[in-house]
Amino acid sequence: MTEQLDEALAREYEAGFVSDIESRTFEPGLDENIVRRISAMKDEPQWMLDWRLKAFALWKEMPEPDWAHIQYDKMDFQSISYYSAPKSMDERPKSLDEVDPELLRTYEKLGIPLIEQQQLAGIAVDVVFDSVSVVTTFREKLLEQGVIFCPISDAIKEHPELVKKYLGSVVSQKDNFFAALNCAVFTDGSFVYIPKGTRCPMELSTYFRINELNTGQFERTLIIADEGSHVSYLEGCTAPQRDENQLHAAVVELVCLDDAEIKYSTVQNWYPGDENGKGGIYNFVTKRGICHTNAKISWTQVETGSAVTWKYPSCILKGDNSIGEFYSVALTRGAQQADTGTKMIHLGKGTRSTIISKGISAGKSNNTYRGLVHMGKGAKGARNFTQCDSLLIGDQCGAHTFPYVESRNPTAIVEHEATTSKVSDDQMFLCRQRGLDPEKAVSMIVNGFCKEVFKELPMEFAVEAGKLLEISLEGSVG
Amino acid sequence: MSSWLADTITQAQTIDDWLSPKRAQSLALLEATNWPNRKTEAWRYTPVNKIERATFKQTSTLQDIATHIPNLDAIDLVFVDGIFDAAASSKTFPAGLTINQLADGKDHDWALESFKNTKPDRHFFGLINDTLATQGCIIDVANDTAIEQPIRILQSFQQGSQSHTRILMRLGKRSSACVIEQLQGDSLSLNTSFAEYQIADQAKLEHYRLALQCSEAISIGGSHFSLGEKADLDSNLVGFGSQLSRVDIDIIHAGESAHSQLNVIYLLDGKELFDLHSAIEHTKPHGTSEQNVRCIVADHANAIFNGRIHIHRNAQKILAEMNNRNLLMSDDAQINTKPELEIYADDVRCAHGATIAEIDEKAMYYLQSRGISRSEAQVMLSFGFINELVDMMNNQAIAQWLRPILRQRFADMEIR
Amino acid sequence: MLEIKNLQASVADKQIINNLDLKINPGEVHAIMGPNGAGKSTLSYALTGRDGYEISQGSATLDGEDLLEMEVEERATAGLFLAFQYPVEIPGVSNMEFLKASVDAQRAARSLEKYSSSEFLKVAKAACKQVNLPLSFLKRGVNEGFSGGEKKRNEIMQMILLQPKLAILDESDSGLDIDALKVVADGINSQRDGKRSFLVITHYQRLLDYIKPDFVHVLADGKIVKSGGPELALELEAHGYSWLESYDRNAEDESE
Repeated sequence: MTEQLDEALAREYEAGFVSDIESRTFEPGLDENIVRRISAMKDEPQWMLDWRLKAFALWKEMPEPDWAHIQYDKMDFQSISYYSAPKSMDERPKSLDEVDPELLRTYEKLGIPLIEQQQLAGIAVDVVFDSVSVVTTFREKLLEQGVIFCPISDAIKEHPELVKKYLGSVVSQKDNFFAALNCAVFTDGSFVYIPKGTRCPMELSTYFRINELNTGQFERTLIIADEGSHVSYLEGCTAPQRDENQLHAAVVELVCLDDAEIKYSTVQNWYPGDENGKGGIYNFVTKRGICHTNAKISWTQVETGSAVTWKYPSCILKGDNSIGEFYSVALTRGAQQADTGTKMIHLGKGTRSTIISKGISAGKSNNTYRGLVHMGKGAKGARNFTQCDSLLIGDQCGAHTFPYVESRNPTAIVEHEATTSKVSDDQMFLCRQRGLDPEKAVSMIVNGFCKEVFKELPMEFAVEAGKLLEISLEGSVG
Repeated sequence: MSSWLADTITQAQTIDDWLSPKRAQSLALLEATNWPNRKTEAWRYTPVNKIERATFKQTSTLQDIATHIPNLDAIDLVFVDGIFDAAASSKTFPAGLTINQLADGKDHDWALESFKNTKPDRHFFGLINDTLATQGCIIDVANDTAIEQPIRILQSFQQGSQSHTRILMRLGKRSSACVIEQLQGDSLSLNTSFAEYQIADQAKLEHYRLALQCSEAISIGGSHFSLGEKADLDSNLVGFGSQLSRVDIDIIHAGESAHSQLNVIYLLDGKELFDLHSAIEHTKPHGTSEQNVRCIVADHANAIFNGRIHIHRNAQKILAEMNNRNLLMSDDAQINTKPELEIYADDVRCAHGATIAEIDEKAMYYLQSRGISRSEAQVMLSFGFINELVDMMNNQAIAQWLRPILRQRFADMEIR
Repeated sequence: MLEIKNLQASVADKQIINNLDLKINPGEVHAIMGPNGAGKSTLSYALTGRDGYEISQGSATLDGEDLLEMEVEERATAGLFLAFQYPVEIPGVSNMEFLKASVDAQRAARSLEKYSSSEFLKVAKAACKQVNLPLSFLKRGVNEGFSGGEKKRNEIMQMILLQPKLAILDESDSGLDIDALKVVADGINSQRDGKRSFLVITHYQRLLDYIKPDFVHVLADGKIVKSGGPELALELEAHGYSWLESYDRNAEDESE
């Protein structure tokens, strides 16, 4: 059976094409001058440059972390280019009509037809190509309700009071090595502000694309949900198929004020490298949200891409009765390595968190859940439930679970469960006896395994994620 | 470098005996290893700087420590402050059982081979024990021998003492035995006490580590087992915390179809700390392992558990389970637990669970509604929580001896 | 319809089926009876192509097509259905999703258009009703938490939905009380249309009270040792399988 599954898993990476777009790209290298040049390219105010320089100074003193269950050749930060933008973006297009048609074609190929999308569903999209935001749809329409949805480089200039107050408030400049690097050299990303008591009228999403060779992508996202507001946000990502590794080091900060709710969903499909581990994106991402009283943050992630994933979307449950959720599907195959999970820091009374993690390992990959549940002294009556399930497909992969559980409060209740299993021969045989081919059978069983997570995704994306998993498995049931 | 560590290394360099070739390896490792701090994963929650601050010297005033276990007719090997007490120890052994002092190991090739063979090098204080342990014993059970009488290695520690002991045991094919490692002495002392067990094919070991040093004691040690084909281990650990108590248990399934069971109880009070690291290594197919770790923490105490199940590549058809349950009884106590799985084979069934909870309020209410006081009900429920594991102990004398001791400890914990 | 010639099948290098011959014509119902360990389930797994069941010799064709060359699912879409003795549980995958995918595969193989969701729901509901399963079963995980009887009825429901040419029913009666047995038998009988064939594998005669076979075969030591009409089943009922063993010995004695 294993052979059939192996065969079933050898697939093409569908987003692996390169767009022929003339770009303005910094020469590789990183020093203070590069930081200054990025800031200048973005026409940033002095305070922003100062903030970047401070982060850069901190970063230079920090060691690269090595505690994760991943192995990769350490990066040479001097060989990466830190800024690349299409030349057509020199003059920022005012509307879609002015956007380079080749760029539009790129997104069409990726299944994100920007024009059509505007008419189709209630989804506003910010499109980030290498180091710049190409276009943000529905910007004006959202503003009618006071919702700010724009590239962060615009927000720095147009809403400095919000950016100054919240940037770095959840993930500090010295939080970790990759976050510090991001603080110094981030180029673009999305900014969202939902005013008090407002339910964002449409789904917001950002689509990240790396195109240029030898560049890193350092995006920065800041979402502020003011008191009693609600927003659902989704991000997607792809990159061309290349033999070289490329670095993606993003920082996402969520600020969820009293009674607000943020639902943040990710479908991560960066190029994973080939079967032998050549090429692929190094995905080192810091995502964290802070919940004030009665607020709720829900992270949902479907991770199928990247050669290396290092990512722990977390919640600081500061306010009483606040809620944190983490739903994750991580699929690794070929030589992929994922070390991902979450941290739930319970500080307030009556805080609750739920962690559902589904790891699927195939091929020669390694898939690790790493999590922390911390019940602070003040977390009276707090509760956590964690379930980590691993599915192994083939006997050359690995599935690992490293959960840290810390409690300082006698009234807090923590429950952690973990299991591992395989796609059983019996399940396969039943499905195939009923006429399903092995691929379909496996993807159906795996989809069933992931169901608890998929049901958390916004409807449109649940279907998308199911398909993505199917495509991914086409190459990797081993 | 820590001055304590520097002194240790200096002292180790003066030791010259039959184990010297092995000790040299550890010494080299030790010199290359940093003194553990909070960034050292294995010592994340357990500060060791207390060792630096304390001063240890040999004492001569004997104290009386209640170590007698009624109805336990054991072969006793007694150590006081790490030195063998021949007068208090048994002198005759049944056929098939050979016991020697560690110093006499040079006459036994297997002993040199098994020294440092089962205990992994990753344990910092294990390396220290490698270099400094000159006292201890060598226990050899011949093939096809059932030793009915339990073997008790009793170690008591007095104020100010520092000691390092090592036990090496070989259990022959198809043989069986019961070993009890009993450690007592609450005053300020430092000991590292490591034991390595080789359990041959189809042999069966029943094991107890009674780590009952409280309050000021600093006690660091480990019991490490290697299991042959179809070997069977039933290991029990009872721990009371102290200012620094650390136990490492490694169970290596080196042969196919071996079975191991590890049951652990720990009860912490005051400012005590108890840190258990367990690792079950399934290196061959068809093994089963089960761990039950239960812990109750009161007052300002700190309970640490790091449990690891590691299924090696091609070790298929493994059943491994780990269950960790904790009760936190005070606002100032803490629990830090990390149940890990590391799995490289697909046709296995592994599960772990960890819970931290209060005493079940429904049960509490039920008992109270029958007129039982809250504190009494708490003792009953807490005791029930761990008594399940005491009931599973095969040796009734130990179980009977432990029950009132545990009950008393609960009562003490509740008074504060 | 089904033609098995000189079939030899083994599991883990142990030969279970020895030189078995069997021919089933369209519309016929054949029963295979035999003691435990006779190779009844092995035969059904070998025909449907379960991994680990090796065919060392012989042939098996369905409407002239070589079954043994096909993958498991190809045999299924060619019209071969197996009602399992012990249906496996698949947590998280709903029965509905599973059935739709199965029916889609069958219809694609027959160049029929896929059912729309609403069409399928209608068909599935009807099938559910026919085997007396509540509609809520469609939403539950495949066989997850089903009782033994519910699992068996679920198997029959699948047969009704998939419309096979030949259905192998592996001990579909085991563990059922008389009422459940009747539901299962009625479900099977409803599918007898003069063209569809059945191979009923059973240990006991009682199922054959409800599903009248055209032929009864006795399987022992991996081969058919006796064939006859429905009366053979009654004979077995009366004399038990030990009578067979003496039959076997006699046969051996005679050959010596």
